[in-house]
Amino acid sequence: MSAVCAALAADPVLASHYADFRSKTEAALDPALVALVRQAVAAVHGMEPAPDESALDEGTRLCLAYARRMPFEHTAITDAEAAGLVAHLGEPGYVAFSVVTALADAECRAAQVGLPELAGA
Amino acid sequence: MSTIPRVSSAIPGEPAHFGSVLAHQPEIARSFFALYGRFWGSDVLAARIKEVARMRNARVTECGFCRNVRFDKAVAEGLGEEVVDDITDGYETSDRLTDTEKAVLKFTDALIHDPELLTGDAKAALQHHLTPAQIAELGLGVTLFLALAKALITMGLEPEAMDRTVLPTPAVLEAAA
Repeated sequence: MSAVCAALAADPVLASHYADFRSKTEAALDPALVALVRQAVAAVHGMEPAPDESALDEGTRLCLAYARRMPFEHTAITDAEAAGLVAHLGEPGYVAFSVVTALADAECRAAQVGLPELAGA
Repeated sequence: MSTIPRVSSAIPGEPAHFGSVLAHQPEIARSFFALYGRFWGSDVLAARIKEVARMRNARVTECGFCRNVRFDKAVAEGLGEEVVDDITDGYETSDRLTDTEKAVLKFTDALIHDPELLTGDAKAALQHHLTPAQIAELGLGVTLFLALAKALITMGLEPEAMDRTVLPTPAVLEAAA
């Protein structure tokens, strides 16, 4: 369970809305890619080991390289990097990927400040 | 940072902006706007406090769109521009921001920038000024503000120029569902 979901345990309506949003973003992409992105972002934050990329195709590696930029370098991502992802994922996929990746980063940060404990969960 | 959209609008006739780009994923868009309306519609945490955190996130993430939007509910609760001007580095010495708002800003900085900023004193101040339910709502808000600002920026949806714009506060959408 994400830190945000855990923190919202006492507010089932808001928790349910958040869980729905999270699941809708994930459902728009290949589940394996979502898991790799979450792991890659968590690794940047020092919360998990980096994913093993040795058997991954070039497109997936491109996605992970992009995802790793989100936590601390989001303003430095170039038009060329973004175009590479759009070419690989298509526009709808790129939109979902952008939201999933940014949300993964924010959730790691929520966990790092101990949001559930602060919220008494 | 690019101000040229990296993805097109999915709504014919509309330029690329957050809503028209998110329309490429209608299910995500519907769910997000329902969540965001519920979040802003809740009075567990005052809209003014939420807006203080959103403004801080806008400045730290360099989201020009977020920085120029004001939600009317927070304005009605007294969040004037003279207060917003103090939501910058050195906010700790502001005499316009309340102690609650300063505790919220420290938490916001910790979440979006550096968790080490949430020292024991900062944590105690937050828990002194806010209830656990309010902290949960604040945490959700800052998570969403951060994620959306980064998604918006990386998709190239930053405006080249934008005037300060007061918008209606997002509302609960249940009736339209």
